[in-house]
Amino acid sequence: MSRSFDAIVIGAGPNGLVTSAYLARAGLSVLVLEQRDRVGGAASSEELWPGFRFDTGAHRSAQLHPAIWRDLGLGAHGLELVRSDPGVFVPLQDGRHLLLAESASTSTDSIRAFSAADADRWAEFNGFAEMVAGFLSAVFSVEPPEIPAPSRSDMFALGRLGLGLRKLGRREMEEVVRVLPMSCLELLDEWFESEPLRGVLAGVAVQGGAHGPMATGTAFNLFRRVAESGSPAALLRPRGGVGRLSEALASAARGAGAEIRTESRVKHVLLKEGRAAGVALEDGTEISARTVASGAGPGVTLLGLSDPAMLDPEFVRALKAIRYRGATAKVHLALGELPRFEGIEGAGRHLGGAISISPSLEYVERASDAAKYGRVSEAPYLEAVIPTVAEPELAPQGKHGMSVLVQYAPYHLRDGTWDAAAADALADTVVETLGRYAPNLPGSVEARHVLTPAGMEQKWSLQEGSVFQGEMTLDQFFFARPVAGWARYRTPIEGLYLCGTGTHPGGGATGNSGYLAAHRILKDAKGRR
Amino acid sequence: MGREGGYDTIVIGGGHNGLTTAAYLARAGRKVVVLERRHLVGGSTVTEEIFPGFKFSVLSYVVSLLRPEVIRELELPRHGLEILPLESTFTPLPDDDYLVRWADHDQTRAEIYRHSPLDADAYDRFGQLMYRMALAVKPILSMVPPDPTSLSPKDLRGLLRLGKHFRDLGEADFFMLYKLMTMSSADFLDEWFETDPLKATMSASGIIGTFLGPRSPGTAYVQLHHYMGEIDGAFRAWGFARGGTGAVAESIASAARELGVTIRENTTVGQVIVRGGRAVGVALEDGEEIMARTVVSGLDPRRTFLRLVDEGDLPQDFVRAIRRYRSVGSSGKVNLALGELPNFTSLPGDGHHLRGAISISPSQDYLERAYDEAKYGEFSSHPYMDVIIPSLIDPGMAPPGKHVMSCFVQYAPYALNGGWSDEKREAFGDAVIDTLSQYAPNLKSAIIHRQVLTPQDMEDEFGLTGGNIFHGELSLQQLFFLRPAPRWADYRTPIRGFYLCGSGTHPGGGICGGPGRLSALEILKDGAR
Repeated sequence: MSRSFDAIVIGAGPNGLVTSAYLARAGLSVLVLEQRDRVGGAASSEELWPGFRFDTGAHRSAQLHPAIWRDLGLGAHGLELVRSDPGVFVPLQDGRHLLLAESASTSTDSIRAFSAADADRWAEFNGFAEMVAGFLSAVFSVEPPEIPAPSRSDMFALGRLGLGLRKLGRREMEEVVRVLPMSCLELLDEWFESEPLRGVLAGVAVQGGAHGPMATGTAFNLFRRVAESGSPAALLRPRGGVGRLSEALASAARGAGAEIRTESRVKHVLLKEGRAAGVALEDGTEISARTVASGAGPGVTLLGLSDPAMLDPEFVRALKAIRYRGATAKVHLALGELPRFEGIEGAGRHLGGAISISPSLEYVERASDAAKYGRVSEAPYLEAVIPTVAEPELAPQGKHGMSVLVQYAPYHLRDGTWDAAAADALADTVVETLGRYAPNLPGSVEARHVLTPAGMEQKWSLQEGSVFQGEMTLDQFFFARPVAGWARYRTPIEGLYLCGTGTHPGGGATGNSGYLAAHRILKDAKGRR
Repeated sequence: MGREGGYDTIVIGGGHNGLTTAAYLARAGRKVVVLERRHLVGGSTVTEEIFPGFKFSVLSYVVSLLRPEVIRELELPRHGLEILPLESTFTPLPDDDYLVRWADHDQTRAEIYRHSPLDADAYDRFGQLMYRMALAVKPILSMVPPDPTSLSPKDLRGLLRLGKHFRDLGEADFFMLYKLMTMSSADFLDEWFETDPLKATMSASGIIGTFLGPRSPGTAYVQLHHYMGEIDGAFRAWGFARGGTGAVAESIASAARELGVTIRENTTVGQVIVRGGRAVGVALEDGEEIMARTVVSGLDPRRTFLRLVDEGDLPQDFVRAIRRYRSVGSSGKVNLALGELPNFTSLPGDGHHLRGAISISPSQDYLERAYDEAKYGEFSSHPYMDVIIPSLIDPGMAPPGKHVMSCFVQYAPYALNGGWSDEKREAFGDAVIDTLSQYAPNLKSAIIHRQVLTPQDMEDEFGLTGGNIFHGELSLQQLFFLRPAPRWADYRTPIRGFYLCGSGTHPGGGICGGPGRLSALEILKDGAR
């Protein structure tokens, strides 16, 4: 057995890195074990073809919790978040388009071409969304209480949340409670009539999930995204690629004393007298630690890296009942030239933000129908970004790289499996779909790379290709994430913790789960002493 | 103006809730008049002889949620209420198999065992769970919803009571209830069963009256809502009323009359008269004015506030809340007069399987596909149906040797593409008959008469806004303290002396009587306010 650590963190994704940085800052000796050759997990950049750098997982970033940013000094570690302006471009096949930006006037002018009423309501909607998102942000930064019998300190925390809500004013409080369980359709029916605007917001609300925008609970995801990005129209990216976010976190963790080993694949968690005692690697190495925190998902960690026979059958049942249902794929294209969209001249600023193929809410819903029956959407919802517009150095001279998020591509295909042919067919569908809006695109594709939900599972250990390590639905949120009764980062195995996005609050790469998990681990350690 | 007729309370609408309110108020000594637009009382709870000799429960067709306290306190059995048990649920399958859940537990178990031994075991445990869940929700059905955004002692007391109730449930049941409140019925059942027709038939109760598919979150709650009547310990309240559902309304009307209530049919209220912010009576469409110090509306919230009241008498916020209150119909009704019984190829003959519900729900995908069509504005070409043949249980409903058959059909969207017309109504009726004929080929030739009701008809003839059978959807954001609008869930309205008592108030739709009773109790609390 090699040397022993106070804590081992499994997986160098953003949350694992945040956890390790906080544990190291508290004086613990920390070892981070990453199976791949680089840090970042599904938030990393890769050179897919010589000179072409892509964000193969997430291609946008969340704004990190101010405490994380400050505590870890991420600015000093080279992280710079850049907002694209405009943030979203929605092309239509008839040559019209919608541009949304954080500057209200750009958006309202663009929306006005579709609906004057919608243009007039845009600013109000943004204010409303920020209000709801503000409440969610508060929820995202506290550990879930023990429900239904909260402890005294839980009551205090809940009371603070309640007060925060109350500060909003009674009407706002009622609104928050009312809108969160809604479907995106119900929410948007109350606000907007123009189809591209409804479509692009619906797209934001369904990303990463298997549901369509007419499904109850999808409004919550729209507000969650506003909480993460600051605005429904924002596209936030680290300069240099999403990998820079993870690199900055890794640098901060190292700076605090944590050791990070890549290409170290954990085989299982070691137990001693029923308690976590370290990990065994695939290569046979055993490393001991008093605390093991896993950034992998709940199923991967507790059913894969540990022995389910050690767990209470009811708990195992609950673990197995977690819904993952990944339905998101990524397609990466090397382009010889920039796409030219119908009705808009050249390489304007519209190409600098997210390009959303979401002409209407119904379009997005129809795309989701296929997934219900285990098929890939024939006309998928797409969100494409071309980081090389702002940063030409991410591709060889004169070339561009386009990263496309595709929905819906269900992990469970009813006919067939995610083999090379299925992946190829998916790429065909994506290129054809884009070609309907930008006719020069299909001819400019020089190389393409597909990451299916099965591929994501293999590459990043994301169960069923779920980018959130479990659906972000109301029944898998807060005190019910990952499993009701176990929402406080602990597991039934003493000393083994979860710190990935499969725990509260989950969602995009905000680092919040890792932050809260680290605090839980440190609190427990203090209690033991 | 004096007291014409000397009434102190006017109830608008002689539906079962309006009649219930009237009866309770009269029991407390009030002098009450009920004004009913049609020639008979009952509202959506009516029996009508549409074709000579054939009596139809025109809209609602089974009794399940009728509150035991209403039955007891109004002594409804003495006034003629007799519930004939609904014995079984028969699901014919396209491959000439079937699934029946019989009245007899052992027989049901054997039948489910035939499809899946695992499911036979799970069925018992599931039944016990749902029983516990129904008990957990029951007290909530008979309480006036407290407003969590209010600091009034009354609301705080209610909230504390609710908090204690949830704590007393224990952790496991609380979490299960949370899942039921937030999950889709398909997902919920997937955790328990593997037999597709069993899951489909059970999840169908989660979509009744909603504009959601079984895979949409929120439907598990509707399923529980329907379960509640079925397993109510106090009274076997799941079944047909002898004489059709109209007999329920008639028994309440009879109780009300005995208590001194005056019921005026063929009396259409045009407007509620408001003076100085308080309701003082109503103006009928024929110009007559009836004055009273209390006015109660059993109509749905949208009809009540957007048609009977001058908007100027209401706060703007409230009008906005009512305008966005969702009341979109998704179901139709087809009533058939038959010369002979349908003969199902999967289970031929006129055995016991015809004496209960016949459910056209062969698979979850089938239901989901039916929903997909409706989402985009078409009625389902192969709809979900809940069919009963009341004349088998209650021969008085049809001439000797003949039968009546009631088909509740989903989905039929209120906002049909191009709108409803006579042709569309008949095409919808044909789709229903064609679908049923696939299972019972003799049906077409057995039909003597048919009555087809679309959501548009339900609005036009029965005053259900949007054709919604629950007076507004039973979605999370329209339940409990949000039904029909935040701050106004206690049956009071912004107009003093004016109250609601219909299904658009807590606890919601179905032949329930809960809203009517709770409303009366609140009115009495206010005294001569």
